[in-house]
Amino acid sequence: MTNIWLGLFSGIAFGFVIQRIGATDAHRMARSHLMLDADIPRFMLLTVALSAVGLFGLQSVGVGRISPLPTSIVATGLAAVIFGIGWGLAGYCPGTIWAAAGEGRIDAVFALLGGLAGTALFAQLHETLIPILYDPTNVGQITLTDLFGNYGVAVAVLAVGLGLCIWAIGKLWGSGDRVIAFERAPDSSPSSGDAEKNG
Amino acid sequence: MEPNNNQRIPYWNWIPAAFALSGIIVFIFATYGPPASSSGFVSTLNGFLAWMAPEYAASKAHYKAIPGPGSWLFTFVLGMAIGGFIAGRTSDKIPVRDIPPIWKQRFGESRVKRYAATFFAGFLILFASRLAGGCTLGLFISGSAQLAISGLYFGVVIFAVAMLTARLLYGKSAGKEDIQ
Repeated sequence: MTNIWLGLFSGIAFGFVIQRIGATDAHRMARSHLMLDADIPRFMLLTVALSAVGLFGLQSVGVGRISPLPTSIVATGLAAVIFGIGWGLAGYCPGTIWAAAGEGRIDAVFALLGGLAGTALFAQLHETLIPILYDPTNVGQITLTDLFGNYGVAVAVLAVGLGLCIWAIGKLWGSGDRVIAFERAPDSSPSSGDAEKNG
Repeated sequence: MEPNNNQRIPYWNWIPAAFALSGIIVFIFATYGPPASSSGFVSTLNGFLAWMAPEYAASKAHYKAIPGPGSWLFTFVLGMAIGGFIAGRTSDKIPVRDIPPIWKQRFGESRVKRYAATFFAGFLILFASRLAGGCTLGLFISGSAQLAISGLYFGVVIFAVAMLTARLLYGKSAGKEDIQ
């Protein structure tokens, strides 16, 4: 029973934050994918890095439950390709779909309905597809700790690696300062190089 | 440090926002376990099937693996929708649009076209998430926070493919035209 309220509370907080950063705005997501707006990808990677450090703290005092998903070379990779096509097409992912639908974006409501249909089809095919695609190349619940031998070192490697990615995204993507949430102005001036704006 | 203090931008700065969200994620790890959102879709269907076709739901491995609506997984996605609703109602700066302007510029005003595309995309995204066992949150963010190779692998590929898809979809026009 407690879990129900914890889930609800966590979901509300989560949905609120991702709306405020603009992750529920498919327009901003598309600009992120087009390398015109660096904020969402940097936000996501920094969130991962901070969460990994926070989780390390929790684990060191023996709090929290972890359960890393196994890696299946074929299934995880193939799923990522299909997922990426959908993500690029709609600008929504499973979490933002709920928040964007709640926000009142009707295209997200259709994405939610499509998502339910996709889930139903996969659940129907689960017994057929998992043994073919997932199990043969399943290498188990491997983590960076297995690679580096030490949990603390692995967290540090992840944090530094993500930090470098965040820095590179800031250099390669547009700075995001031209993101305006209003309709297109017909007389907007042509963009000069995005990199220069990063200054 | 960042040139993002421009007042025209209605969104939060990404750095404090990342601190806020990772705080929530660590809270979830401490009070529940790894956060996930694509499982919420299974949970929703589970509740629906328990009422419409209980024997079917009981016979399928995928529905047996994930609890129904009386669970954290379902109330979390329900909470996401409520959180999005509250956030949308309390911000007059972030516009709520049914069709993104970038889409309109490329594909026109047709609602049918946009809704058909997002329905299809939603279908692909959830089919793929259920195959991989998670989504952007459940596999990439929460997986990578647990240092899982699966999460990092999934994350790299979804970013690369989504960037390629967006490029093919919107072409070069989006950057050149500087739509806002």
